[in-house]
Order: sequence, then C-alpha cells, then structure tokens
Amino acid sequence: MTSTSIVMPSGSRLLRSAFLMPAILVAIIAILVVAPLLRILLSTLTPEGLAAWETVLFSPLSTNLWWRPLFNTMALGFGVSIGCLLLGGFLAWLVILTDVPGRRALGLMATLPYMIPSFAAALAWGTVFRNARLGGSAGFFETSGLAIPDWLAWGLVPTAIVLIAHYYSLAYTIIAAALSSVGADLVEAGQMAGARRPRIFFGIILPVVTPALIAAGSLTFAGAVANFAAPALLGLPVRMQTLSTRLFGMIETGQNERGFVIALLLIAVSAAFLWLSDRIVSGRKAFITVTGKGGRTKRFPLGVWRWPLFGLALVVGLLTTVAPILILAASSLAPQGGALFSNWTLHFWIGEGGGAIAQGQAGVFRNPILLDALWNTIQLGLVVAFTTMLLGLALAYTIVHRRGSLLASVLSQLAFMPLLIPSIAFAAAYIALFSAPIGPMPSLYGTFALLVVAASAHNLPFAVQSGRSVLGQISADLEESARLTGAGLIRRLFAIIFPLAIRGLFAGAILVFVKMVRDLSLVVLLFTATSPVLSMVAYRYAAEGFMQFANAITLIILVVCLAASLIAHSLQNRVQKWKES
Amino acid sequence: MNAIVSSAADAIQIRNLAKRFGAFTAVKDINISVPAGSFLVLVGPSGCGKSTLLRMLAGLEAPTEGEIAFVGETVSSGAGGVISDAGRRNAGLVFQSYALWPHMTVAANIAWPLKVAKWSRERRDRRVREVLALLGIDALAKRYPAEISGGQQQRVAIARTIAPQPSILLFDEPLSNLDAKLRIEMRSELMRIHRATGATSVYVTHDQVEAMTMATHVAVLNNGRVEQFGKPIDLLRQPATTFVATFLGTPPANLLPAVRSGDFLMFGDVDLAFSAAARGHESVQLLYRAEDLCVGAVAGRPSVEARFAEAAPIAGRTMVTAMIGDLRVTGMTDGYFSATPGEAITMSFIRGPDAIFAVSGERIDQ
Repeated sequence: MTSTSIVMPSGSRLLRSAFLMPAILVAIIAILVVAPLLRILLSTLTPEGLAAWETVLFSPLSTNLWWRPLFNTMALGFGVSIGCLLLGGFLAWLVILTDVPGRRALGLMATLPYMIPSFAAALAWGTVFRNARLGGSAGFFETSGLAIPDWLAWGLVPTAIVLIAHYYSLAYTIIAAALSSVGADLVEAGQMAGARRPRIFFGIILPVVTPALIAAGSLTFAGAVANFAAPALLGLPVRMQTLSTRLFGMIETGQNERGFVIALLLIAVSAAFLWLSDRIVSGRKAFITVTGKGGRTKRFPLGVWRWPLFGLALVVGLLTTVAPILILAASSLAPQGGALFSNWTLHFWIGEGGGAIAQGQAGVFRNPILLDALWNTIQLGLVVAFTTMLLGLALAYTIVHRRGSLLASVLSQLAFMPLLIPSIAFAAAYIALFSAPIGPMPSLYGTFALLVVAASAHNLPFAVQSGRSVLGQISADLEESARLTGAGLIRRLFAIIFPLAIRGLFAGAILVFVKMVRDLSLVVLLFTATSPVLSMVAYRYAAEGFMQFANAITLIILVVCLAASLIAHSLQNRVQKWKES
Repeated sequence: MNAIVSSAADAIQIRNLAKRFGAFTAVKDINISVPAGSFLVLVGPSGCGKSTLLRMLAGLEAPTEGEIAFVGETVSSGAGGVISDAGRRNAGLVFQSYALWPHMTVAANIAWPLKVAKWSRERRDRRVREVLALLGIDALAKRYPAEISGGQQQRVAIARTIAPQPSILLFDEPLSNLDAKLRIEMRSELMRIHRATGATSVYVTHDQVEAMTMATHVAVLNNGRVEQFGKPIDLLRQPATTFVATFLGTPPANLLPAVRSGDFLMFGDVDLAFSAAARGHESVQLLYRAEDLCVGAVAGRPSVEARFAEAAPIAGRTMVTAMIGDLRVTGMTDGYFSATPGEAITMSFIRGPDAIFAVSGERIDQ
C-alpha cells in the first residue's frame, strides 16, 4: 500500500484548491465582466452622465443621436436576421434534407463566410459598387459604364446585403445542425401516416427545428446590431449612423458620457432580443429529439430541380466566399480603383513611396506600422486564444463539478453575460473602467494588456461553452479507470485527459484566434498608435480613401485566418489519429 | 421450403423478393405468405436483412426484384418500385426509436395521422381516447414525448400506429430499447393488442424468445435469405438447417460433429448413433437438445468426459454448460447442481440425436 501515501497528499492539495479555485474565478469574472459594466453604468449617473442621458434621449439632438441610429440599427437587425434565415435555411435544407449533388462541398462553402471578416465583404462591395457621388475613384461597375444608384452604392441596403453575406453562414450552421437531428424515423412516421411532402415539412420538420430558427434569428440579429465595420465603411460616408457607429463617433470625439449612454442603450436593445428569444425557446418547447439509428436523415429527391438548385447554391457560395477574395486581390493590384483588371502593379504591396500612385504612399510591406501591426495581431490572437481557453476550461470544470450549487449558476450566468453585450459597447465599458488609474494600478488605456483583457472577457461565453464540450468528451469513468490503475494526477493529466481534450481545446483556440485576427468592433475603440492591429490599419486606410491598401491588408488578414484554420485542421488529424475520416 | 401453402387472398404475399444496395445484397429470394390475422415474426441476427424486408413492406424502400402483395393487390415490385405509397397501403409501422414527434403532445401525436387522413374532429377525439385507454396511458395525453419514460413512449408509439386502424401492423424491434422486465410486460401487451385489433402483424426481432412466444408464423433470416419459414413449433421440432436448430430454442441445442466408423457415428471415441442415419455422409453434425444431455453416467447410454463451465438454475432444474475440448455443450439436470469451473464431470446422452445435419448445414435425416 505504498501508493496510498503518495496519493493522499495530492488528494488533500486538490481539496484545498477546490476552495481556492472558485474564489479566484469569481474574482476574475468580477473584474472582467461585472466591474466594467458597473463602471459604465455609474459614469452615466454622474451629473455629466445624467446630462448626457437627457441630451441623447430628450433633446433636439436626440433624433440624430438616438432615434435615427436606433431606426437604422433595428432595420439592419431585422433585415439581416430575415435574410440570413432565408438564405441559411434554404442552404441547410438543400444540403441536409435533399439529394442535391455536391452536398459536402456546398456545406463547406456555406460555413466559410463566417471565417471571412465582415469588413472584407464591405470593402469588396465598395470596390465594385462605389459610385461617383462622393468623389474619389468610382467602383468597377460605374467605371465599366454601368450607373449604380445611390441606394445600391451606400447606406442601408448594401450594409444589409454585406452583413447577410457574412452572417448567413452562422444561421446555416445552426439550422443545419438542427435539421440533421431530425431523424429519418420522424419523417418516415409521417409518411406512414399518409402525409405528403409539404405536410411533412410544415407539420413535422419545421416545428421541430423552430427553436433553432429562433436561435439563429436572434444571433444574427445581435450580430448585425453590434457590427461596426460594415455600417462604418458603407454607411458613414453618406452619414447613415447605427448605434455602433454613433457610439464610436462619440468616444472618438471625446464625448465619453454620451458614448457610454449609447453603449448602454445598445446593450439594452441587443440583450432584450436575445433574452426574448431565449424565453421563447426554453421550457417545454425545447424539444429533445429522440434520435433513431445513428441519426440517419431522410433525403428527399429533388427531381428536375436537382441541378438548378445546385447552381443557385453554388452561385450564393461563390459570391460570398471566392468573389470578395478575388475582388480584393484584383483591387490591391489595380492602380485605378474602378479598372480592376488592367495595369496591374505590385505597388500597393511593395512599391516605394514618393511616386505618382496613391499620393506617394509606399506599399503596405514598406510601411513599418504594418509589420508592427501584423506582429501585434498575431500576438494578440495567440495570447487571447491561450488565456481564453485556459479560463474557459477552468470555469467549465468548476461549473460542471459543482452543478446545482449557487456558485456554479452564478459563474455560468456571469460568464455568459458578454454574449448579450455588443463588442463595441463592451469596449466602451472597458474605456470607462480603465481610462483612469485605479488605486496603485496605472491606467491601462491604450496598452496591449487592455486589449488582451477585454478580448478574453468578450470571448468568455464561447470559451466556457467549448470548455464544457471538451470536458463532456472525457467521461468521469475514463479518468477514474486510470486512477484505479494507480496512476497519479500528473500522469493521468498527460496520459488521459490531455490527449482527449487537446483536439477540442485546439479547435476552440483556433476559433478564438481567427475571431481576434478579423475583429474590428472590439479593437476599434481600444486600439491606439502604440498597439496597432491589422484590422485597424485596414480600416484607417479605407477611411482615408486608400482602398487598395485597405484591400491588401484585408487580404493579409484573410491569409492569416485561412492559414490558422488549415494548420489546425492538419494538426488535429495528427494529434488524434483514431478520429480520422 | 414453404411449410405453409399460400393462397391468393393471403393478407401478405412476398414473391421472389430481393433488395440490393449497390453491390451489396441485403435480401434475396424471399417467399413468404401469411393469411389475414396472423402474427409473422422475422427473426435473425443483426445484419440479416430483416429490417430491410420490413421497410419494403412499409413502402419506405423499393424492392430490386420480386413483388409484395397485400390482400392480392401488388403494392411494391421490382419492376414498378413502390406502387402504393407508404401512407396508402393501410399499414402502420412502429419504429424501433418510437419516432414520436417531439413537438406534439401524446394526444397530438396520436391524432396527427388521423388528421392527415381527414377524420372529423369528434371521430378523431373519440379514437384518441379509445387507443389511450386501450394502452392504459390516458393520464399522459397532455405530456410531451420528452416528459415520459421509455416504456410509456413505446405505448404512445403503438397507440399512434393502431389509431388509424390499419389492416397490417409492422413492428421494427419495438421492445429492444426496454429493460428486461418491461419487455416481457410489453410482449403480452402487444399480443393482447394483436388480438384486439385483429390486424395482420409483421414483427422484426433478433430475440428468438420473442419470436417463439408471439408468432403464429416465423421466418428465420440469415445473410439475407429465409433459412426456414413455418409455425414456431414446427421450426423448433423440425429445424431445416443447423442455423435454425441452434438459433431457436432455450436453452440452446448442441451440435456435435461425428464421423462414420463402420456401423456407427463416432463423436471422438464415443459411438452416438447408427451410421445408417447419415445416409451415406462420412461426416455429419448431430443435434442434441439440452434436455437430452444430463450430468452423470446413465446405465446403457453413451457418455463423455467434460470440464464444468457454469450452471444456471431454471424452473427447479439446472442448466449445466461444460466444455468438451473446445466444444461448448449444454445439458439439463434435476435439482440444483454446481461444481468448480474446470472440474471434470460426466455428461450422458439420454436420448438419440434429435436431427442429423450435413457438414454444410442442411438436414439429411428426413
């Protein structure tokens, strides 16, 4: 029984850490999530803050500060949500429930747009549809002699289209998962009852996936409401303001209190809808499907519509994935903004400054800020991915192991709170908290550390979710059976838990990395000259009208994102060989 | 192989049925007919094609060859595919997974097929109450499928299937997800429902006990073929192949390899039967029921030495399993019996072989 004496101390150490860890986690969450929100709320309750409330809501300015942006935001939210449900739902139906050719390829293509930053699509849209109204070089269509009306070049409509092209893949992912959980048995039971296809679709399939539709609708709504890049690039030039661009404008011009008020209102709008949809979905209506043999799904024959619908899906996929990338690439090579395919030059990439092109600006690779920004971006992505997954795993572990306790429910509620908060409003809250020194701590504003802290907090819901799914893959039995062989904690950690968890952790970390690299709305407020990141540099170029540079940098971001995904993919297969295919 | 003569008005008639998925043949050469009101059980190990056969009966799969006729009317054929739609062949299917629609209450689940069939509201409500009562689940009407237990879900699934009063009921391993006690309860329940509805039933299972208890007709399937079709008692008494002989019956019967030596068939160095029974075969397999083997020597009967493996008491007697070399044999002995595993025991053949099979598996003594 020598092993007992070795095991016992580690057991008691665990016991002590069982009290220590929750305390640390509660403190971390309090600082990351609760403190910024309380601070932003408190700063609007000062005399200046109350004045700002009044100005924003009840003054002659309130039309411009609040009502118009609110209207635009809601229009965008509903438009994008409906568009995403239609487009994502159509593709999910096609891929999961029919015998359309090339289902795998279509499915993969439908998940890609979410990997592409929304400002890539916005920039590509501008490159093609920009008209002469605002001066500067016109877009591809107008240069080719096709007049583009204002409503298609600027404002609400193009913003909505660009956001749909980005967020529909989120809707697709959610709806496709729900549809594939509708077992073939459920459909066949309907067939046995003599129901025809429309009846089965509306009577069985649609009601079963309704919770997923509501979830997809509310998440795309929240995404559109919170998005900063698309309305900023396509709306601001014609003074179309959404709540997020308004918020940015206020803070940018030093009117912090008004900015904070708008941030709180934006949080309220976004959270209200997410909360409402959660209410509708939860309870009795949250169906637990009893899946049949291996989750077999029923595929309906499309008949003569097979190829036309395939063509339609392919066009949608290409327009939202390949097309923006090609447009950005062509634009970054074309000296004339509109003439995408002539006189290609590498000037915008590696050209020396001082020439006639681009007002003497040097190519992006000659720009010292760019290399700085590239390094910063990758560093930010890596650090945040690491901190987020670590925090997520610790939180998920505590929540799972203390299920039912007050501590667990408080932790999980708090950890999921950032989900309700648009990232730009979250950034505003961080400014409210950290723009001045707190006690002995210096002001963090403008530092890399603040970016990391804010980003980790923002990604917390996702991290906890993936931490839970990772832990869910390791059943207690597996660890206990290893314990019974006499293996110590460290040994178990490395021999059992780590190999089983690594794939999930890795997948989660890569997603966080990609999210950070392509993020604009969180960093747009927190970034400063000392901590530039790629997306910010691209946005600055675009705001100053240097579209080719902006497009070139966006391409770099895309390449980094894609490379990360590919590395993740190849590493995963190497790490867990038994899960191949 | 058809032990039962078919007639044109049979409720279910299957002729030369085959189903291929690409190069894989799921079932072939199926010929089965049963009269109205029978309870046909398709039994066999997993992967034998029994579920595919059932899905063809339901109209969910089209046969590659042959045809299926319900009451003389062809509903599916290799040439015509699914001629009569799943919903229009007056058949109901109980799924292994129950396939309850999760977004409908129990009552709504049962009512939906009636709604599709355009029953009037009063008639529908009356019928729903009727079947709920028949299955003893009146109290669950307002619940959702996720809120009731597995056994209750099973009852709802059956209620939903019998509500439209189909003339043919199909069951796809309906009891396989229930615990042992519930399974026996539901077995009698199903037989009661079969009597109450009078519908011709086809029941798929891998459990030979279910087959023997419930069936009026049994088809034993193996590798996509019908090994034997007939009344359960006939299959038990007169197995046509070694597969049927060893698959059916509790406790399992023993198959002993024997070779001809002069006038006798020898198992090792024990003579078990006269070689005339082998009808010219040099090597045969002898079928001994468990009750034909007992523990201990019996005067005048052949016996072998075996190593004790395990014992299980059954209804006042004891089922004894022992090893003769690598061969597992099962015998019955009176009272309770136990021994140390590996201990040498004597097992005697108190009767002659019940059947004699060729090495290839087919029966040769009749």
